[in-house]
Amino acid sequence: MFARHKFIIVIIIFLFCVLTSSAFAKSEYVLPYPSTMPGSIFYKVSLVKEKVMQYWYFGNFGQFFYNLKQSDKYLVEAKTLFEYNQYLLGFQALQKSNKYFLKTKPYLIKAQSEGKDISENSNMLSDAALKHAEVLTDLQGRLPKSFVWTPERDKPTNLNLKKTIEESIKIRERYL
Amino acid sequence: MKKILILGYLIHLLLFTIFSYFFVDPNLIYLRNIYTGFAFDYRGITTFIYSLFILSFFIFYFLFLRLAGKRLINQKDLIILITVTIASLLFSYPALVSYDIFNYIATAKVSFYYLENPYLIMPIQFANDPLLLFMQAANKTALYGPFWILLTSFPFMLGLGQFLITLFSFKLLILVFYLLTLYLMYKFSKNTEVLIMFALNPLVIFESLVGTHNDIVMMFFVLLSLYLFKNKKILFGIVFLLLSIFIKFATFFLIPVFIYLLIQKINKKEVNWDKVFLLASISMFIIFLLSSFREEIYPWYGIWFLVFIPFIKNSLLKGLYISLSLGLLLRYIPYMYLGTYFGPTPTLKIILMLIPVFLFLVYKVIIKTISSKSI
Repeated sequence: MFARHKFIIVIIIFLFCVLTSSAFAKSEYVLPYPSTMPGSIFYKVSLVKEKVMQYWYFGNFGQFFYNLKQSDKYLVEAKTLFEYNQYLLGFQALQKSNKYFLKTKPYLIKAQSEGKDISENSNMLSDAALKHAEVLTDLQGRLPKSFVWTPERDKPTNLNLKKTIEESIKIRERYL
Repeated sequence: MKKILILGYLIHLLLFTIFSYFFVDPNLIYLRNIYTGFAFDYRGITTFIYSLFILSFFIFYFLFLRLAGKRLINQKDLIILITVTIASLLFSYPALVSYDIFNYIATAKVSFYYLENPYLIMPIQFANDPLLLFMQAANKTALYGPFWILLTSFPFMLGLGQFLITLFSFKLLILVFYLLTLYLMYKFSKNTEVLIMFALNPLVIFESLVGTHNDIVMMFFVLLSLYLFKNKKILFGIVFLLLSIFIKFATFFLIPVFIYLLIQKINKKEVNWDKVFLLASISMFIIFLLSSFREEIYPWYGIWFLVFIPFIKNSLLKGLYISLSLGLLLRYIPYMYLGTYFGPTPTLKIILMLIPVFLFLVYKVIIKTISSKSI
């Protein structure tokens, strides 16, 4: 009788672990620390730097790294802003992260067409996609489905957070 | 006698060129047909031969200096000596003891063949590139300044995608700058004897014409800058100083010397050029010593202060620099013999480097003691 109970408890614990765990394997990819946030005077400087660095990262590998780096940066920025309930800014940062992430693979394809070996960078991109998806899945569980952002003396904006995060995950899944 | 000496010197250089091919890397596929593995299989014999060559290089050097001191070497002889030196050593194998030339080529390839930023993308990113088989800093981004990378576009293009042609084009580039430096030194000093002191210094020859290090290029632009300052072309002087800094950054430490020149110019005061060269050599000597804190003192860094040797009047400093140039070439011996950078190698390198300096200082003290007693 006691053995049967023990068996059921083990099964329940097993199912709990499986069903509640993330759909993605853990990624070793390391995201950067949060950089300056909107509102800071340094944020504007960082935007200028971002534009300038676009030219410094020339070449297809260079552009791949640039876009991946920016995507990482904005994902971390979005996560931080969401955690502080700055939904509009977080939403905008996530969209920027998506925009940059989408640009990564085409540069790798271009590099491949030039005869460059892209296997290592493709693996890096997959790892990054996995890590991004992990972060986004975590956010998905913590954020409201939608949010109406009402700024002072301006029209309110309806932010469909659930849909945007789902789309963001889908973008990453393409490169897994 | 002089002709025999020059002939002996030529034979010595040719033998050294042949010896350099004992060091061909086993992975250097382009020279597989002449690979012997001698330097790696017979380390003791190789080290002994190398030491003999260093010794003979210095014997020839002192003999030529002595002849020049007695005014037995004229301008024509000097041209013959330099021609013999460059013609023999142009075809030597460059990666005898340092693989820097492969790094130069790899950086140029990342920039001008793969069209990537060499300050961001490492050669190792190009997994199938044959350079990765034998270069030793594939996991490093560009170590040198942008002007150097720009200059390397010439030998890289000249190589037409063929490794061996590219390799010797890089050697040719350094050779050209070695000659330009000598020309500039002559323009400054108009003195054959002092020119020999730099032109035939074994360390200068070894590190520029064999090892193909870019330090001579950096120092050429500094000399050119000083030359322009002397001829009152201040703006061009500043431009060439900046170009020198953008080759390898070390000449940044000459800025105080140039500030002194500018102050003198503003105050319309006469410039004491002996003092300028002395200060420049000491500045470069200090940064040479400080380089040990960054990584280690590499023998080719000696060129930084040796460039000023023809213009220094102080015999003690001259002797110190020349004895140190011998010591720097002896630094290669521990690794050549032991085949490892660890264990006793670092200590032995320092000891071997300092022995000639110590002997020179002892010699100076003895000479001074004897002369003071005779008075």
